[in-house]
Amino acid sequence: MNQNTTIIELKNITKVYRQGELDVHALRGLDLTIKTGEFTAISGPSGSGKTTALNLIGALDKPTSGDIHLEGNDLKAMGQRALSHLRRDRIGFVFQAYNLMPILTAYENAETVLALQGVAAQKRKEIVMKLLEDVGLEGMADRRPNQLSGGQQQRVAIARAMASRPAVILADEPTANVDSETASRLLDLMKKLNEEHGTTFVFSTHDPRVMESAKRLIRLVDGKVEDEQEHP
Amino acid sequence: MKGQNLAKLAWRNLWRQKRRTLLTLFSIVFGFFIAILTYATQDRSYASMIDLAAKMGGGHVAVQHPKYMDAPSLKYTVMDQGLSEKIEAQESVHKVTHRITGQLMVATARQSIGGFFIAYDPAKEDPESLSFLEGIKEGALFKFADELGIILGKKLAQNLGVKMGGKVVYTLMDKNGEIVTGLGRVRGVIGTGAQGIDSSIVLLPIDALRPLLGYAPNEMTQLAVYINDSRRSQKVSKKMGPLLGPQQKSYTWAEITPDLKSFIAMKMGSSLVIQIIIALLVCAGIFNTLFVSVMERMREFGILLAIGFEPRQLFSMVMWESLWLGLVGLVGGFALTAWPYGYLVEHGIDVSAQIGEKAVDIAGIGFSPIIQVGIFPEHAVMISIAVVVATLMAGIYPAWRAGRVVPVETIRLD
Repeated sequence: MNQNTTIIELKNITKVYRQGELDVHALRGLDLTIKTGEFTAISGPSGSGKTTALNLIGALDKPTSGDIHLEGNDLKAMGQRALSHLRRDRIGFVFQAYNLMPILTAYENAETVLALQGVAAQKRKEIVMKLLEDVGLEGMADRRPNQLSGGQQQRVAIARAMASRPAVILADEPTANVDSETASRLLDLMKKLNEEHGTTFVFSTHDPRVMESAKRLIRLVDGKVEDEQEHP
Repeated sequence: MKGQNLAKLAWRNLWRQKRRTLLTLFSIVFGFFIAILTYATQDRSYASMIDLAAKMGGGHVAVQHPKYMDAPSLKYTVMDQGLSEKIEAQESVHKVTHRITGQLMVATARQSIGGFFIAYDPAKEDPESLSFLEGIKEGALFKFADELGIILGKKLAQNLGVKMGGKVVYTLMDKNGEIVTGLGRVRGVIGTGAQGIDSSIVLLPIDALRPLLGYAPNEMTQLAVYINDSRRSQKVSKKMGPLLGPQQKSYTWAEITPDLKSFIAMKMGSSLVIQIIIALLVCAGIFNTLFVSVMERMREFGILLAIGFEPRQLFSMVMWESLWLGLVGLVGGFALTAWPYGYLVEHGIDVSAQIGEKAVDIAGIGFSPIIQVGIFPEHAVMISIAVVVATLMAGIYPAWRAGRVVPVETIRLD
C-alpha cells in the first residue's frame, strides 16, 4: 500500500440544497485531498458542511458542481449501479446512531456486505469471526442489536464497515452517542484498524477526543476549509 | 446479495410486527377459504345440475333432427344405423341410448291432464342415465322395451285419480301428425320431490311406443350421449360432427337446456363479483401492511443503500416479503379449509328444511336439496395462483417505494 497515493480528491465542490423557498449553500468551493492510510477528522460548527462532505465522498449524494475522485474514479461519471458497487466494495460507513439491522445478529450485520459481494459462506464466517474478535465482540456474535450496549453496537458497525476490506471508512460522528470511556475505546479500535490494515479513516466530528486522536484535522467553516493541522 | 439471503432477510422482516403480519395472514387465509368453498360449491352443484339435466333429458350431448330443437314434434326423428356404436367408441363417451320424448295427454275416466313423456329402453337405461328411474315409489320399472304399461309421476297419478294397475289412455301425435291413442295399465309411480315434474312426467317403454307413432325399430327423436365429464360436452359434440348424417345434428346440454346454462352463468357471474370484492379487500389489507412496513423502514433502506445494496435488491427484498405473505397465507388457507372441505364433500349441508321441499326445481329440473362441494383441480390451482399473484401485486408499489429511497434524505432522519 502506498501511503502517498491520493485516495480522495474533492475539487471546488459546491452543494446547494433547496429548503422551501431558500437555497442553502452547504459547501462553497471545497477543495480537499486525502491520502491512503490517513486518519483524518473533519470538524467545524453545525452547518459547516461536514456531513455533506462525507456524504459526497461516500457517493451517497452528488455535488451541485465540482469533481470528486475516489481511488481515481470520477464519481460524477458513474451510474447508480456502479456507485452501489463502489460503496459496497471500497467504502465503509459508520453512523452516529449505529444503524444496525435490528432483525440481524451482530454476526449477520457484519456479514451483510460480504453476502452482497457474493463471498462464500465459509469465507464469510472466517472474516466476520476474526473481525468480531478484532473489535472485542468475541462471544457476542449471536446477539441482536437490542441485546448490545451502544458501544458494542458501534463496534458491530465498525466490523460491518471493515468486513469488505474497504479503501476508506467514513464515520459520521461515531462517538456522539457513547460515553467518554466507550468513545475512547472506539477511537483506539479504529486507530488500531487504521494502523494494522492501512484503511483510510475520515471522520466528521464535534468531539475533541476524536480531533486529538486524528493525525490530520480539517476544520470547515461555511462550507470551506478554514484551517488544517497535522498531528504527529 | 443472492436470492436466498434476500428471502431470509424478507422472512425476518415479515415477523418484526407479528400482530400486523398475523392479521394480514388471517385475511389471506379467510379469503382463500371463502374462494375455495365458493368454487367448490359451484363446481359440484353445477356439475351435478348438468349431470342431472343430462339424466333427465337428452344426455350431455344429444343427436336430434335439426328441426326438432325449434319445433319438438314427433315427426322430426333420427335413425340409428350403426351411429350408436361409432359414438360409443369416442373418447369420454360411456353410454348412448335411444329416446323418444314429447308432449301427450293422459286421461282416465275422471280426469284428463297434459304432460310430457320419455320413452326409453329398459335394457339399456338405469338411474345413471335416466334419473327418474331411481324415484320409483310404487310398483316396478319396465323390464322390457316392448311391454305394455305406463309409469306416472306421483302427483300426476293423484290428479288423475288412478292407482297401481289402473287403466290410463294417452293421446299424442304420430310421425305423420295424426292423433293416436295408446292404452296402458299403471305399472309404477315415481316421485322426484319436484312438484312441477311429479305432476307431468310419464315414462313409456320405447318399443311399445314406436309402432304407435309409426316409427321404424331404430327410429327416435333423440340419441342421448353420456360422457364422463360434462365440461367435455362441447368437445365431444364437435368430434361427433363427421359421424352424423344430413338430418342429424348434435347438441350439448347447454343448447338443449339454455335456461340451465343461463342460470349457471348468472350465478357464476354474481359469485365472481363477490369474489372480486373479497379479493380487493384482501389485497388492500396486504398492501396496507407492506406499505406501512416500508414507510417505517425508510431510514433502514437508506442505510442498506449506503452499505452497498442496489435499489433493485431493496425492491426484490420487499417483493420477497409479499411473496412470503402469499405463500404462508396459502399454507394457512389449505390448513383451515381442509377439514370443512372434507366434511362438505362427504356430508354436505341439507337445506330441505329451509326450502320446505325434498328437491329444488330449477329450469324444470329437480335438484337435490343437499349442498355438497367438490372443486375442479384447475380451479384450486387457479385460486392458489391468484392468492400469490394478488399478494405480489399488492407488494409492487411498496417495493418500488423502497427501491426509490434517497439515502441522504432518509439517513438524515437520525
